[in-house]
Amino acid sequence: MSRTEASFPPHHLPPPHHHPLPQDCSVPVEHLDYDYIGKCKDVKYLEKICTVLRSGDEGIYPRLIMFCEDHLEKLDPRSLALRKEKPVSTAACLPNDEWSHIADELKTWQEETKASETSLKQQSMFDALVFENMPPIRGSNCSVPLCQTSVKKEKRTLSRHTLPRDYRQWDKFDVEKEFEKIDRNVDKHDAPAIIHQGHANIKTKVDASLLTQQEKLLLAHREKEKGNEAFRAKDYEEAVAYYSRSLSIQPAVAAYNNRAQAQIHLQSWHNATRDCERVLELEPGNMKALLRRGTVHNHMGNFQMAVEDLRVVLREEPQNAAATKLLLEIEKRMKEREPEQRRRGKQILIQEVEEEDDNVNTRAKETARPVEPSQPVGGEESSAAPVERGDMGNTQKKPHSRGDGGPHSEPNNSHGHRRGKGASADKYRVTQESKEKVANGSGKRGSTASAPADPSSSSRKEPPVGGHAGEPASLDAPCGALPPPLSRLKNEGNLLFKNGQFSDALEKYSQAIQGFTDSGMDSPEDLCILYSNRAACYLKDGNCQECIQDCTRALELQPFSLKPLLRRATAYDSLERYRKAYVDYKTVLQIDISVQAANDSVSRITRQLIEEDGPEWREKLPEIPLVPLSAQQHRREGPPSVELLQARAEKAARDAERTAEVRFTAVKQEGNDFVKKGQYQDALGKYTEGLQLKPEECAVYTNRALCYLKLERFTEAKQDCDAALKVDPTNKKAFYRRALANRGLKDYVACSSDLQQVLQQDPNVQEAEKELEEVTVLLRQSLANVSPAKPRTTVPITEVAGDEETPGAAQSESPRGEEPINLQLTNAYEYGQALNAARCSGNTAACAALLASTPPERLPHFLSTQLDGNTISFIMQALDSHLLEKDPHLVYQHLHHLHTTHRFSVVLMLLEKDERRHMTQLFEHMSAVQSAEFTENDVQNLANKYI
Amino acid sequence: MSSPLDKPQIISHFQKSLNYTVFDSKWIPCSAKFVCLGNYARGTGVMQIYEVQQGEAQLIKEQEFPKPIKCGTFGATSLQQRHLATGDFGGNLNIWNLEVSGTPVFSVKAHKEIINSIDGVGGLGIGDGAPEIVTGSRDGTVKVWDTRQKDSPVANMEPGEGETKRDCWTVALGHAFNDQDRCVCAGYDNGDIKLFDLRNMSLRWETNIKNGVCCVEFDRKDINMNKLVATSLEGKFHVFDMRTQHPTKGFSSVSEKAHKSTIWQVKHLPQNRDIFMTTGGAGNLNLWKYEYPSQRSKTDSDDLAVGVAGSVTLLQNATVSTQPIASLDWSPDKKGLCVCSGFDQTVRVLIVTKLSQV
Repeated sequence: MSRTEASFPPHHLPPPHHHPLPQDCSVPVEHLDYDYIGKCKDVKYLEKICTVLRSGDEGIYPRLIMFCEDHLEKLDPRSLALRKEKPVSTAACLPNDEWSHIADELKTWQEETKASETSLKQQSMFDALVFENMPPIRGSNCSVPLCQTSVKKEKRTLSRHTLPRDYRQWDKFDVEKEFEKIDRNVDKHDAPAIIHQGHANIKTKVDASLLTQQEKLLLAHREKEKGNEAFRAKDYEEAVAYYSRSLSIQPAVAAYNNRAQAQIHLQSWHNATRDCERVLELEPGNMKALLRRGTVHNHMGNFQMAVEDLRVVLREEPQNAAATKLLLEIEKRMKEREPEQRRRGKQILIQEVEEEDDNVNTRAKETARPVEPSQPVGGEESSAAPVERGDMGNTQKKPHSRGDGGPHSEPNNSHGHRRGKGASADKYRVTQESKEKVANGSGKRGSTASAPADPSSSSRKEPPVGGHAGEPASLDAPCGALPPPLSRLKNEGNLLFKNGQFSDALEKYSQAIQGFTDSGMDSPEDLCILYSNRAACYLKDGNCQECIQDCTRALELQPFSLKPLLRRATAYDSLERYRKAYVDYKTVLQIDISVQAANDSVSRITRQLIEEDGPEWREKLPEIPLVPLSAQQHRREGPPSVELLQARAEKAARDAERTAEVRFTAVKQEGNDFVKKGQYQDALGKYTEGLQLKPEECAVYTNRALCYLKLERFTEAKQDCDAALKVDPTNKKAFYRRALANRGLKDYVACSSDLQQVLQQDPNVQEAEKELEEVTVLLRQSLANVSPAKPRTTVPITEVAGDEETPGAAQSESPRGEEPINLQLTNAYEYGQALNAARCSGNTAACAALLASTPPERLPHFLSTQLDGNTISFIMQALDSHLLEKDPHLVYQHLHHLHTTHRFSVVLMLLEKDERRHMTQLFEHMSAVQSAEFTENDVQNLANKYI
Repeated sequence: MSSPLDKPQIISHFQKSLNYTVFDSKWIPCSAKFVCLGNYARGTGVMQIYEVQQGEAQLIKEQEFPKPIKCGTFGATSLQQRHLATGDFGGNLNIWNLEVSGTPVFSVKAHKEIINSIDGVGGLGIGDGAPEIVTGSRDGTVKVWDTRQKDSPVANMEPGEGETKRDCWTVALGHAFNDQDRCVCAGYDNGDIKLFDLRNMSLRWETNIKNGVCCVEFDRKDINMNKLVATSLEGKFHVFDMRTQHPTKGFSSVSEKAHKSTIWQVKHLPQNRDIFMTTGGAGNLNLWKYEYPSQRSKTDSDDLAVGVAGSVTLLQNATVSTQPIASLDWSPDKKGLCVCSGFDQTVRVLIVTKLSQV
């Protein structure tokens, strides 16, 4: 029979003694026992016992066998003895439903394949094309040697392993050992190891142009599966390559999704996001894609977006464990990160605050310097003292050119305080200079005997360790009123803090505080600084409770000092006591509105609190203390030790100046708010306060004047207006209000002259016009009656509150709605702005008003920058609808000049149909108008230039 | 062992007794049909096509040939054509259009003796590059064929002058992940496994597993070679990690004693390359899963990369016959469906369940 011929490999019997006989392996009968088996830990021996038991030679004990097997499985689940041959299952072995499910599936598959096979057969074949695209034939009959060149080795291999082996030999030999032997024997080759990286040389694109749709589907599916396999083997790059191949054949949601996951593993977040987004494009609301995008966002640090994605997932699938877990994780991380952010924010903050202090101090130093030579040593020390005080935590201090510093200094200038800006810029320059000239400066001071070196500069030059002996000058630098030992402690603390040794610094400060209280000195500000500095250490160490305590102590000593407040706020924030943190931040902002970190934190906490407490969150807040204006002057009242006086006065002045600006803005704002609410008395107080801070602010005077007017305190109102006019002699509002005040004072002549001033500046102020009419009547009456017998009319104050808020801005303001427009436009830019504003709102009336106030001969100049089709058309409309009836001559004049505008002809050419129509309409209407100034002929001539 | 229902189950769907010895059975791609190849007792070859219909096999077509057919493959044909390449006892390589009875579309006297094994790549969308067929024969040669070239193989791996000719029992194609790269692996009766690189036309690697190599298969033909399983006469199989080749140690491997008798076949699941089935000489089937190590390569003392083999786990076993199961084929289209045939003149269609869950 041919089977013999075919029966390769040689059919053979299984090795005869696979199960060793009991006597061979000597398992005593006593060992076939529950107790013994239960205690036996030797897997090999247990396997033997198992075999003996199964063989039945010692009797059949099914339970013991099971016990033995169970025990063996516990010890070694992979034991070969546990492998039992099983007969093949049949459908009957399975539960009914399971089998029916399988059978159904099989049936549908059969039907499907049948259908697909039929369609496959019907498709035409592209044999020729397929062949054309094939790689060339490899070659003809290339012979490949069966063995590597080393003949010696081949010989050995052959000689050593001749076949067939004896069956018994198979049982004996250990493959691993044999392998090792071979490995040892093999000649060493120089060839390097070949590593097949999965992704190498895999084309990521497949040319599927010749394939039928069905083949494409199949192929795409197969490539995707290869990707899946690579993914399971953790060859993510290979997986990405195969998914890409699959997608190049047939884009599909699953492949994109899987590739996204692989990209996540490769940490190429952007690609992953792109894939997720593509999935979501194809299938909006794909849970996997959302989840994965969430993951990516998480990794990229976009926690907010991650949370959004995950929330969507959880909304659809509340049971989604992965999403829930990730969400929790992200929330945790967000929380973790918040303190981090806070810390970072705080650093910036400290930096910022420190910088300011430093600037102030440097300035103080700078100004003090000229006096230096003539001053006794003690005086010089005192001038340097504030420097020491201010440089707490200057580790983070960076040159001012760094981006961080910039924004914080900006709010100072935001209210048009050019002076302040100049000053701060000056400060910065000085600081930088002083830093650049560190060596110079210290050298200078070094020459003046015991003059202290600038600690920040010295620490920059060589990083000192705590209590560095080489820095005695710097460490002994006196601090405020502190006696030398204490100031030394403090300086050491500062140094340590700068070096990031917060706990050591903490110790130093604590010692200093202790020494301070022991000495019974009365210098609250120095103690305050010590506490504040120690608080900073606590904060750095994460000891928020202690930090809060120290800050509170510092604030008791020096209420409303910025740094302790900020530190306490940060600490509260870290402890998630948001309400208290909020209050502190708010207080900080009252003191200095420009503290960016405080601003950020306030908005963040606000969100947090709204989330927690709902819309009534404000009601649950503790009261925010109002920072008294004097808060900053407070320090000045400290016990003036003689030698400190000068420096302290300087510092205080600077503090006052700095805080005044901030306070001023706040106060003004509050005043405006009160005005809006109609609480004029309160507003008055605020404005007064504001004027104390900035006596030359015109807007505040006019605002206060308004309050006085409302309160019918006309004399004061008039005084304020006078003051405002002193600052700004053309202030329309001041004139108007003075007019009202004069009217209240029954000084109608003055009133009338004021109103005329207003109208002269701006003929469109209708209130003024009306007022003037009334006043003229009153004036006549009063002149007639000599004595003002007429009962006083109520003063109509019709200005809108909104106007009050921006008293200074009115000058350049563009027309708003129906409000009277400011027509005092002097240049093309302003004119353009006004025109644009009107055009954007489609307000032809405003445009007409604008045009009415424009001298026609100036129009081309004003429009020179603005001229386009839209504008022309808009002007035409405005002229047509508003001006033509009232003042045809003006319209004519305007048109007469308009066409001389630069580029007019070009614009005209580019006019659209609609725009042209407006123009034609205007000219039609115009020719219908009878006028003395121009004839129909003129209009026709003009029209020719336009149409 | 603890909860048998969680594991994949090997279920005998149906079986069909035949009146000839089946050497090979193959699913026709993209269909519910399979083809059986074998020899009649009278010494002629036979090819039968069956279709799975309502839980049984319906004979669709039968053809008799002068020579018994030993092996067949669809590996080098397009999905549209689905031509079957066969190797017979006479050493002939024929390619048949199953739709048309009669003469083969391609025929060549490939070997002097029986073609023991055949494999194809480049067709069915599996593997880049030209469709090629490799045959291994008792005459000791392994030849690679391109159907565009009628009379001579494109590559011939034969022993040199004076070398002993070993019976080549099995061949496999793989590493066809781009147009150029391609590898042939051949297993010989003396336990030699040789890996030929068709790109460089050279022997790339060889090893000896001490016992006749009954079957070799790459886990995937169309990827950068990843794993190779070689089964041996004495019931062991070796899984080589083909990603890292050490200059002297070659590829690292893990071996497993799987059967008490010869492992005739190993076939990887087309839908999951890490699951494979081995068929034993005692009619038993073992389903295995390969698990990758945490690191697939490490550096040895000479600072060279050396691969690290993973481990294999037996997922399920089943004894379907008392005679060897000589062939097994997973359906490329339906996961878990497979056809196997043994020397008991029976062809069986099996269903392996829960493959997605492993």
